[in-house]
Amino acid sequence: MDDKVVTGTPPESRFQVARGTLLADVWMGRLIRLGGVGVIAAVIGMLLFLLWQVVPLFSGAEVTPQAAVALRPGAVGFGEDESGEVVYAAHPDGTLRFVKASDGSSVTDWSPPAGSPAVTAVRVQSREGQVLLGHADGSVSSVTVSFKVSFASDGRRSVEPEVKSEPPRQVGEKGRAVTEVWAVRATNTRLFVVRQASPRGSELRALRLAERRGLGGRAVVTPGEPFAIAPDVDDVGQVLVPSTADSVLVLLPGGEVRAYAGEGDRMDLIQSFRPFPGAGRAPSAAGLIFGDVSAVFLSAEGEQRVWAIHPVKQSDGRSLRRWGEVREPVRLPGPGAGVWAAAGNKCYLLAAGGELQLRNLTTGSVRWQGEAPPGSARQVVFSRNYDRMSALAADGSLRRWKIEDHHPDSSWSAFFGRIWYEGADGPAFVWQSSSGSDEFEAKYSLVPLIYGTVKGTFYALLFALPIALLAAVYVSQFLRPDLRLIVKPLMEVMASLPSVVLGFLAGLWLAPVVDANLVPLLCALAALAPAGLASGWIWSRLPQPVRRRARPGLEFLWLAPVVFLCVCAAWSLGPSVESALFTVTDPSGAQVSDFREWWRVSTGLAYDARNSLVVGFVMGFAVIPVVFTIAEDALSNVPAALTSGSLALGASRWQTVWRVVVPTAVSGIVSAVMIGFGRAVGETMIVVMATGNTAVMEANPFNGMRTLSANIAVELPEAPAGHTHFRALFLGACCLFLLTFILNTLAEVLRQRLRERYKVV
Amino acid sequence: MATLPEVSDSASPRGEPWVWFTGLGLVVGLVMIAGLLALVLWNGAKVFWAPPVPEARLKDGRTLLGQLAQRRVKPSSPANAPRYERQYQVGLRELNGQSFLWVDESEVVSESFPADVVGLERMENGPAFVRPVALVRADGSRLEASSPGFFPALLAEVERAESVRRRHSVLVRDAIGGVNAAMESARIDLRRAEDKGGDLVPIRTRIAALEKEYAALRERAEAVLAEAGKGGLESRDGAGRSVVSPSLTLVRAWLPNRMGPGERFGLMMSRVREFVFDEPREANTEGGLFPAMFGTLVMTVFMSLLVTPFGVIAAIYLREYAAQGPVLRAVRISVNNLAGVPSIVFGVFGLGFFVYVLGGSVDRLFFADQLKYNNNTPVFGTGGLLWCSLTLALMTLPVVIVATEEALAAVPRGMREASLAAGASKWQTVRHILLPASAPGILTGIILAMARGAGEVAPLMLVGVVKLAPTLPFDGTAPFLHLDRKFMHLGFHVYDLGFQSPDSDAARPMVFATTLLLIILVVALNLGAIWIRNRLRRRFRGAAF
Repeated sequence: MDDKVVTGTPPESRFQVARGTLLADVWMGRLIRLGGVGVIAAVIGMLLFLLWQVVPLFSGAEVTPQAAVALRPGAVGFGEDESGEVVYAAHPDGTLRFVKASDGSSVTDWSPPAGSPAVTAVRVQSREGQVLLGHADGSVSSVTVSFKVSFASDGRRSVEPEVKSEPPRQVGEKGRAVTEVWAVRATNTRLFVVRQASPRGSELRALRLAERRGLGGRAVVTPGEPFAIAPDVDDVGQVLVPSTADSVLVLLPGGEVRAYAGEGDRMDLIQSFRPFPGAGRAPSAAGLIFGDVSAVFLSAEGEQRVWAIHPVKQSDGRSLRRWGEVREPVRLPGPGAGVWAAAGNKCYLLAAGGELQLRNLTTGSVRWQGEAPPGSARQVVFSRNYDRMSALAADGSLRRWKIEDHHPDSSWSAFFGRIWYEGADGPAFVWQSSSGSDEFEAKYSLVPLIYGTVKGTFYALLFALPIALLAAVYVSQFLRPDLRLIVKPLMEVMASLPSVVLGFLAGLWLAPVVDANLVPLLCALAALAPAGLASGWIWSRLPQPVRRRARPGLEFLWLAPVVFLCVCAAWSLGPSVESALFTVTDPSGAQVSDFREWWRVSTGLAYDARNSLVVGFVMGFAVIPVVFTIAEDALSNVPAALTSGSLALGASRWQTVWRVVVPTAVSGIVSAVMIGFGRAVGETMIVVMATGNTAVMEANPFNGMRTLSANIAVELPEAPAGHTHFRALFLGACCLFLLTFILNTLAEVLRQRLRERYKVV
Repeated sequence: MATLPEVSDSASPRGEPWVWFTGLGLVVGLVMIAGLLALVLWNGAKVFWAPPVPEARLKDGRTLLGQLAQRRVKPSSPANAPRYERQYQVGLRELNGQSFLWVDESEVVSESFPADVVGLERMENGPAFVRPVALVRADGSRLEASSPGFFPALLAEVERAESVRRRHSVLVRDAIGGVNAAMESARIDLRRAEDKGGDLVPIRTRIAALEKEYAALRERAEAVLAEAGKGGLESRDGAGRSVVSPSLTLVRAWLPNRMGPGERFGLMMSRVREFVFDEPREANTEGGLFPAMFGTLVMTVFMSLLVTPFGVIAAIYLREYAAQGPVLRAVRISVNNLAGVPSIVFGVFGLGFFVYVLGGSVDRLFFADQLKYNNNTPVFGTGGLLWCSLTLALMTLPVVIVATEEALAAVPRGMREASLAAGASKWQTVRHILLPASAPGILTGIILAMARGAGEVAPLMLVGVVKLAPTLPFDGTAPFLHLDRKFMHLGFHVYDLGFQSPDSDAARPMVFATTLLLIILVVALNLGAIWIRNRLRRRFRGAAF
């Protein structure tokens, strides 16, 4: 045999890898790295995107000074058009001078018609486009300023002011000069109030006009008789006239505030209060906030207090709308100098101790603060869409600021704190994102939703955990191994049932069935556990030859008839139980045995057909398989050495399970519970379809709830992008994301610890 | 653990009742699943079944002719002495105002099953249960109900109406639909030309031609309808009122009290066929749900096409390429945990990012013209197939990643090492050894992802599913797959029919049938995944080195 020995080194090319292979390796490696990192980045990006959508909710306002507008000296009030292009200044003689805001060039001038009495008081109400002139003879004329926007052929905008004046109306006492004038217009009324000098100081007189829309839209005006307000007061201080036209707030120099209200040609004192407790502490500034049911008072000591009209329970049980303090006092940097309300929301500007603060009344948040320009402000006007404010200084100069504040009514406390909304009788957590009326203030407290989420989850887990964990223990420890191969996939199929199907069955099938058979069902649930235990006990007391017949691992087959009997017994006994325990006298006097009625009468709580029990039961379908699978894995992975040891030492199979297996696997079981919790927290369709979706905070098992996820599903399609509502829903989604993510991570860490423990064993 | 002691000879072992107690959990769980599946199966199948139709005489002298829909305890009756009421589906909404009537059981004096009752399914106003009088055929000839060939003639009439309707709908949907689409784009062209100062004349001529074509097609459609003639079925309802159903409105006719079991089964099959392959009518409460099924299918397939490459690549990266360490462990945990994040959160993200950010940018970049001249109607800046698929792909990504990672981890180390030792590059090892070995596992993950995607509704409600879409997301007009279209979905169909439908009684059978279909779909996908997984386990059991 001739062994061929290869000598020498093989050619270099023998060791060279084909270029194509190398290239493919390098490029595919790069591609996979890129793809992998990209996918992971996308996942992290998702969280960042959600946060990014939410961040604007918590940022304050941005206020930037704009160029001042040059007005002719001597202006006592001003107004502007909606876009802020044209500004008009009112002068003491009643002339209005319209100038362009951009360069101060004059647009037009307007003077009171010739022959009208001399002007002694001027007030500009820019929001309403109204200028009020008080005359020397005690009369008042109202001047309406409107702006017409037109587009030239080259697309240039031009704003043309239009001024209409009404003839003077006698409001004050004849022949005495008006020193200050107010006017408001409500739906069917107009109210004029004037201040006139009196020998003792000053006094107020008012006139009310009833307005009715006649056929064809023409207003029919019925003037009333002028009347005096607070005739017993010697010297009237500041006056606040709410736009509801039904009342007047009068501040007395001593610090007392009096509310006068009434219909027709009179107003009576209905309430008197001191915004700042302690004699002699008088408000240094006061202002009504948009909606005119809340007033902000500032004191010279630098304190802010908020009073509002809200329902107050009287001693006789009636509830009357009265002024009351509704917020905690706030310390300001210095003595309060002025309060001016925004035009379309609950924000207001206050000047105190050389600082300007833009605050929100509802949430109490400071939207912005900055240094106040020198000198005091005569008047501050906010644009209607809250993007600009202008201030007329005492020296006649007009400063302007641009406001960027997209979510003025949101803040940490708006979402998570108790808030005293206007018209409510106390602070509360409320979610109410839309309503029919215009003055409606959206309420975005997530607390009722979180409460609803926790409630739904609680009832789901209450039902699902015992079943899932018991089944996991049985399947992993006692069931015949060949049956496990059938039971586990069956549970997985249960996990895959679409939640919309479960929700539909819960809402349309189960809810009526439960409603009609509540007591038998509760009886059956209550009887199951004792029945299971009892049958086990009876079995263990049976003579041995009988027990020997059955193989261990098939006990559940014997339990099936027990469960069946249990349900049958509950069904037949249910009505008698109901009439024995839950009989009430209904309004007509008849005895009714009805659990629903009994629940309503004896607990005072609501009863809905679509209630938390139904949700809990059906959510069980979603939660049981998840918890079961993970707990079963944890239990069946307990090393056999442990169980064999225990059994060898003479422990019974239950003792082994209870003393050895369960304690070893406890972290796995906890992790299963947490994952089940996460699943229940995020369940959407079941809750949407099987509850009434009302955002109430009641632990009552027989009414519904509104969960975070259901809320998103119901409201997000209608929420305009970028709006506070939209972002508030994103905040809800963020909460859900973080909650489930943290829960799952904890569960994962627990499971890893469990794995370590098994390794040691 | 199967290491259970024999039942000891002395006293019984300790804690035996507790063992039974744990067994209770399993029994309740099994009963729950079985009960739910049985409930859906029974109610879903019942929808297609045509039972005999009783004529019920009531105490007050009225007679009803209708199919018994359900029987229940009267809501107001006391629990210890329940009174029952029956719900009859009487149909004939044009006469009764509603399809279903509740009747107190004590009101019913007698029930009989007259042999001549005819059940009718009609295009509008719900079904009808009537006693026929005569059939007026298209040529005006009249066939009395008592004459021998009456029912076959009625069936022939129904069939003829069906063919007329089909021709008409083909004409309307395809030809007229095409003209409408062309008209729409011509109008946009016109507006653009007006704005940019283009030549208007050719566009105007085009529009005029289209309008002419449209009128001609309309005329033809009318002509097709006219072919059906003025005939119809004259009949009387249970109360003896006269009912005339024009033959064009007849969809199906049967003799509920005279059919044999075979015919009944045939009718059931024909209804199932309609349900699966036809379009809905009567506000989705009748007819089929082909568009919803098709929409679900297209969306699910498109979603799995998106999720598979990304999921597999990410898993290969995590398992084979990335440096193992604490960072990677954290990443792996986060990716796994994403599977537990509620689906609605993905919907929120889909709406905020895909629809508004991505879709808005796509519209601004590529469809600025269309936006400007089509009344600001967004193309991609609103929900649609693409965004739904992407959202669900993101949602099911962790499912695929986890499944693929597990499958890769299950490939024995020796196979990798052997491949590398034989001189294969890393990519070659992945491509030729790892991927084929883990293919069943990856497939399982994809099927599970599809099952989850097919059954999910909450996120889709936010990103583009609608209750009634006029067009399918995939059809014969270019570019065939219309990513921007909204579509119908089985799960959303269940939600919408069950909870938003004005006539919930009429919608109920349809919801059960849809539910059944959806459950069959999802359960079949899951069982497929389980089956593949079991095969996979067997295959690798012997593969360890």
